[in-house]
Amino acid sequence: MPSDAVIGKASRYRQKALVLAAGPLILAATLIAFMVTQQARLLAEREIDALETQLIAAKRAELQNYVSIARTAIGAIYGNAAPDDEAAKRLVMQSLAAMIYGQDGYFFVFDYDGNNLVASRQTQLINKNWLGLTDSEGTELTDAFIERARYGGGYHEHLWWKPTTRQEAPMITYVVGLQDWRWAVGTGIFIDDVLARVAAARADVDARINRTFALIGAAMAAALVLVFGSGVWLNLRERSHSEERLKLLTQRIVDTQEEERGRVARELHDSISQILVGVRYSLELAKRRLAVKDARAHEALDKGIGGLGGAIGEVRRISRDLRPRVLDDLGLGPALQALAEDFSLRTGIQTELETVVFRNRLEKDAKIALYRVAQEALTNAERHSGAGEIRIELFGHRKGATLRIADNGMGMDNPTASSLPTGGLGLRNMAERIEQIDGELMIRSDSKGTTIEARVPLSRLLAPEGRPSKEDA
Amino acid sequence: MTPARPIRVMIVDDHPMVAEGVQSLLESFDDIEVVATLGNGREAVNALERTNPDVVLLDLNMPEMNGLTATEVILERAPGTRVLILSMHDSPEYISTALSHGATGYILKDVPTEEIRLAIDKVMAGEIYLCTGANASLAPKTTDGNETLTGREQTILLELAQGRSNREVAEELDISVRTVETHRKNIKRKLGISSTAGLTRYAMEHGVLQGTGRVI
Repeated sequence: MPSDAVIGKASRYRQKALVLAAGPLILAATLIAFMVTQQARLLAEREIDALETQLIAAKRAELQNYVSIARTAIGAIYGNAAPDDEAAKRLVMQSLAAMIYGQDGYFFVFDYDGNNLVASRQTQLINKNWLGLTDSEGTELTDAFIERARYGGGYHEHLWWKPTTRQEAPMITYVVGLQDWRWAVGTGIFIDDVLARVAAARADVDARINRTFALIGAAMAAALVLVFGSGVWLNLRERSHSEERLKLLTQRIVDTQEEERGRVARELHDSISQILVGVRYSLELAKRRLAVKDARAHEALDKGIGGLGGAIGEVRRISRDLRPRVLDDLGLGPALQALAEDFSLRTGIQTELETVVFRNRLEKDAKIALYRVAQEALTNAERHSGAGEIRIELFGHRKGATLRIADNGMGMDNPTASSLPTGGLGLRNMAERIEQIDGELMIRSDSKGTTIEARVPLSRLLAPEGRPSKEDA
Repeated sequence: MTPARPIRVMIVDDHPMVAEGVQSLLESFDDIEVVATLGNGREAVNALERTNPDVVLLDLNMPEMNGLTATEVILERAPGTRVLILSMHDSPEYISTALSHGATGYILKDVPTEEIRLAIDKVMAGEIYLCTGANASLAPKTTDGNETLTGREQTILLELAQGRSNREVAEELDISVRTVETHRKNIKRKLGISSTAGLTRYAMEHGVLQGTGRVI
């Protein structure tokens, strides 16, 4: 059914609209998620950096404390000793070797030539020359310590083997120089725990960001489901509405048809059947009277003939009500003439018809449609306009044919709404009917009256009855 | 009123019951001779020459050729014939249209049979007879001062408007040049137009020529 096709089309449009609505939503949500996580990552990175700096700074401070304690401890001996006081050197070496702390903490001493003098937790180093020693990444070790010592002391970051686990790990070392003895004294702290904490913090941030991402995704999915869900719901509601409307219209058409059939059946039964029954009685009576040579047979026959005349008249009336033959036989002009005369006679509204001399030039569908428009217009005028005068014009022109019905009544409030209970299916149906024959229906209405104009295109005009065989029927 | 020879009547109706009824009715009169009972307008036209009727009783709604066209063609071929329309339709429009096409009488099929006889006598006497009951509203209708063109006249107007000569039109419609000339005069009189160019313009302006799909 065409109406179904229309509904289908509308729902396809709606689906497209949904996709169009969902597209930007997805895009916006993705952008927001991306920006939020980017900002969060930046912020976290800065925090982690700050944390790292802070932790490293704490380590350095700790380291400096150890070294300054060691300096103080050996200060008395070193301060009073001469550069070649071997006994004092031994004392200092002993006390430094004794200073161990934590799991891996100890003090080392290299002379400026690179020989190790003290390394209490890694004694394999002692009394060997370690110039040119590097860690696995190539960072200078001994040379760098000696360098720092010569220039008043300082930090050095490098890798070192943990005494306990023999694993290489990142370390910060602080070295001071005992310039008189040409010694580099220092100690180092492993910072792998700091790095581990930073890595843990970073992993934590990553996990948090992923969670945020997932949350935004979930929210978006929920929003999409909501959008599509409500779209589908609207769609279904719309469909059920239009189906309802269609059902209503079908019902109205069926009702009208049934009403019409009922009326015709009633009229056939009430008038014609009854009349014919009467005729039959009269004829039977005449027959009986003829049999007994009753002179009143004539009377009964007359009554029967009169009844038949009445029946013929009734049939004529019913048939004309259903569809005026004059429309088919003589064309729209004469049909409108008859309509106007009947209408004028019945309602007392003065009705004028103006038409041109050509006749029966319209296609059958066009004729009927225009006739129904005129009927509808007259009915409306009679019931609602209070008009005293109606003018009907029918004329051909270069573009086709036009039917115009103008009354001088008070006009319609809303001519397009067509809620007027005209007994037929209203002006809207008239408009549809005219549309079906490629014409157009226009309604102008104001306080001075209503004008309804129906136009039919040239294509609906017939060729003239040139060849007699064509037009006869 | 008893003429020297019987009145020759042709009955044309596509309903056999009606045709036979009228025939037996008319045959009951001595001074009427039913020369043919036929089923449509074309048969009537074809039988004209052979039967030479004085009066044609003609139904309006018929297959092949309807009563209106048949009226015009019969009068073109045998101008002296009286055409008496016998119809079920009681609308004034039918009656005025029939008269404008040349019929001299119009009676309803459901009038008392005596009236048919009366109508035949009246038209034979040269009068126009319209059935009782219909008489009231019946002078031939004119609209806006113009008389309606008959079907034949419309056809001829279009032929002329397209530049055909009287002779060409006569050949095309199988009628005499004189008949075309008569139609042409009637058309010009009805429309109040004096020249052929005027007829063409009139047809154009009323969307008639365009509707033919023919290019002029």
